[in-house]
Amino acid sequence: MGSSYLLSLENVTKSYVVGGFYSRRVINAVEEVSFKLPQEPIVTALVGESGSGKTTIARIILGLIKPTSGKVLYKGRDVFEILKENSLWYRKEVQAIFQDPYEVYNPFYRVDRVLKVAIKKFNLAQDEREATELINQALEAVGLRPQDVLGRYPHQLSGGERQRLMLARAFLIKPRLIVADEPVSMIDVSLKAIFLEHLKLFKEKFGISCIYITHDLNTANYVADNVVVLNYGRVVEIGEMSTIVNKPLHPYTALLINSILLPDPKARSSARSSFRVSESTLRELRPRVGCVYQQRCPKAMDKCFKERPPLVEVQKDHFVACFLYQ
Amino acid sequence: MDKLPGRIAGTFKYFSKLLAGNKKLKVGVAIFTTIIVLAIIEPYVNRLRLGNRSPDEIGLGGSYEPPSPRFPLGTCPWGRDIFGMLLLGTRLTLVIGLLSGIVATAIAVLLGFISAYKGGLIDHALRSFIDAFLVIPTWPIFVIIAAYVKILGLIEISLLLALFSWGGAARIIRAQVLSLKEREFINLAIVSGMRDLEIIFFEILPNFAPYIIISLTNAIMGAIFAETGLRLIGLGPPLLPTLGYLLNLTLSGGFLTIRPYVVAFVSAMLILIFLSLNLINIGLEEEFNPRLKKVTGL
Amino acid sequence: MSEEILRVENLKIYYKSMWGDYRVVDDVCLSVYKGEIFGVAGESGCGKSTLVEGILRLVKPPGYIAGGRIIFEGKDLLGLSEEELRRIRWRKISYVPQGAMNALNPVLRIEEQMIDAIIDHLGYLPKEKGREFAAAALEAVGLPHEVLKMYPHELSGGMRQRVIIATAIALSPSLVVADEPITALDVVTTRTVLETLAMLRDKYGITVVFVSHDMAAHAELVDKLAIMYAGKIVEVGNVNSVFYDPLHPYTRGLIEAIPKLDKKTIKPIPGLAPSPLEWPPGCRFHPRCLFAIERCKKELPELKEVGSGRLVACHLVQG
Repeated sequence: MGSSYLLSLENVTKSYVVGGFYSRRVINAVEEVSFKLPQEPIVTALVGESGSGKTTIARIILGLIKPTSGKVLYKGRDVFEILKENSLWYRKEVQAIFQDPYEVYNPFYRVDRVLKVAIKKFNLAQDEREATELINQALEAVGLRPQDVLGRYPHQLSGGERQRLMLARAFLIKPRLIVADEPVSMIDVSLKAIFLEHLKLFKEKFGISCIYITHDLNTANYVADNVVVLNYGRVVEIGEMSTIVNKPLHPYTALLINSILLPDPKARSSARSSFRVSESTLRELRPRVGCVYQQRCPKAMDKCFKERPPLVEVQKDHFVACFLYQ
Repeated sequence: MDKLPGRIAGTFKYFSKLLAGNKKLKVGVAIFTTIIVLAIIEPYVNRLRLGNRSPDEIGLGGSYEPPSPRFPLGTCPWGRDIFGMLLLGTRLTLVIGLLSGIVATAIAVLLGFISAYKGGLIDHALRSFIDAFLVIPTWPIFVIIAAYVKILGLIEISLLLALFSWGGAARIIRAQVLSLKEREFINLAIVSGMRDLEIIFFEILPNFAPYIIISLTNAIMGAIFAETGLRLIGLGPPLLPTLGYLLNLTLSGGFLTIRPYVVAFVSAMLILIFLSLNLINIGLEEEFNPRLKKVTGL
Repeated sequence: MSEEILRVENLKIYYKSMWGDYRVVDDVCLSVYKGEIFGVAGESGCGKSTLVEGILRLVKPPGYIAGGRIIFEGKDLLGLSEEELRRIRWRKISYVPQGAMNALNPVLRIEEQMIDAIIDHLGYLPKEKGREFAAAALEAVGLPHEVLKMYPHELSGGMRQRVIIATAIALSPSLVVADEPITALDVVTTRTVLETLAMLRDKYGITVVFVSHDMAAHAELVDKLAIMYAGKIVEVGNVNSVFYDPLHPYTRGLIEAIPKLDKKTIKPIPGLAPSPLEWPPGCRFHPRCLFAIERCKKELPELKEVGSGRLVACHLVQG
């Protein structure tokens, strides 16, 4: 069954029940999230603060968590159906790069193992010799020298090297889609740049699409073609990167863009426009009714406290969930 | 799976590296190994010394005989060979400890593991089961059983001790596995296509093998402690001359006043067993929780 | 011109290991003036966190102070006894450690934790007085009194970090040292925390030493900036001059590696950071420096003044 989309999330919701015996609440980590990735190789950024549900979405796409409702379709088929029948096929198609370069390695084994397991599981090489060749190629492709890295234990490498090794692993497997969850937030500035370069290269040279999850719009802007903005588990805006950065429609997107620190002392926020970061209320509760951004929105109207604004296409390929535009 | 000999050699190297680094571990393992060796050679030593007769046979020697080349620690009021019984007791105590410890740990690992890994209802059910066992007051039960059931052999005692002592370890192992389950490298294993069993054996198990060993040493100590305790109040099968039995024998035989060094020797053996196991325990915990090293300063 | 409040002279902090000494902080000199926000920038492994621990005499074995002096208000901190140090810590110099906001005790109310910290450093104090201090501190960072009775999980990340800052200034210190206070924080939260730190300087005249690997944060907040690399300071200056006229090649590399909204290209610094076990000979940056000359490979450049308040350790600049 063909489909014009590579990946499609349709009204995905993930609820958790919190609280003990006396006060049980249902929290929607992710609520009715829908977005699609086209067939052409693309890097889509998933942007939001902590608590926005972006990591939950990543885990749902990777099949690590099951959604409470809604569907995730990959190449037209339900991901969880695929995983039941033939999980290995899906694993070869969709890979992950996780945030923490320290935790992603099993401290008991040497780092080579992550590459060797991939080769074995996905049958990437016929014999030992070919495997070694593939490993060396992958390492060199991401700028690591085999002698610096192979045979070492995780604690012997730096965070940047470990994360680059994850890139090498992705290069080795060459999936169709990489879900990268905050891949550069824990490594240094100079290495961030190299890492992001490689993500772009993967798309351009190997046609590998990427869902790039982050709270940092700076890096998102550098690497992504379009962006999905999340707030408290809901999608508030979707659009092309350049459009969003220059003319954000949703007030929350505007807040994110204006909060970016510019490496320019003369452009300090204090000296800049009268933009003030609104003081968040004491208890950051997810509003159960009305727009999720109601507490902090400077433009909130009556309607915003009563109904959830639906995600509507206001321009070509530009979606907003805000009553200002409806 | 992978080349197994390589894996075994790797584990061996891992343990020797571990030993080399930690003083406590080295000392603990050294002492414990010596004691085990003693226990193993005991039958031969006693065969050499006493021929076909067992050191706890009544009438081997005279009553309260002083130490001599034949009886290095003298004899008890009924003529039994104290030195021989020391060796025999060491062996029996160790066997009980090891048997009981291994069974208890095996149960703990199995239940704790399944409970944590499966989660959900199974976890709920197993947890309640484990907690129920923890609540049972083991000591009174041992006393009652030991007092009423006269025919208790080595295996029965060991299994009995094991049956009631696996609870604590199961809890700890469950907690360990729960926390390991959440770590990112498990997620990486899942997206790499590894299956449940593979993940359990190759990702989780190696990381909590040290806790299994620690649980094991704890269980062994617990079993020996319990058995010795029972002996000191006079309970337990008289045909099983463990170290606890010997201690009770010498104490009630008045050796504390006439020949205190005899009691000292028996106590020393027990203390060495506990000491060495404890050192192994602490040494292992230090290795896997390196922060402890800085606190103790050793 | 204000006076100098903290001066670090030739500070060396090493870590013992079986392979030798890790020379994590290797001969560092700094001058911090009263009422300014002094930034220390550098990537992970350059030694900035250890430097901060050294200033507060919090270095634990296997680390040890191998030399140098830390002059605070005229006294050498390295020569003080534990008792004298306790009188200085929190009352004169206080510390916001890395990840502190996540280290709040989840089962205690904010009020209790703050009062605990205050009592720890002040000695015995009646509960009422402690509450007063805590309330005043919260007000100073712009948090309402209601926060006192709340639990950490009820507050957002930014608020927790502000509670930590409030606790740090509760006893009105003259110097606050913050180690990576905004790492792992969201964009919006980062903004709030930086504003709070700026307020410390503007409203209360507190001097702040701000350690972070985030160059944009330094641009936003600090008055003076020091760049650290491989255990040494390679450049110091007013934040404007460092950003608009970076002298040291490493500084230039750091600034160019930052992705910006309007720039679509970023230039990463080639190579990898060296190991403190074996720093490269000569200038420690020379293996990665695009401009290195012969002299750089053999001679370690000294940190020298090349303009008013402007220091650089580079042969090319010094001539």
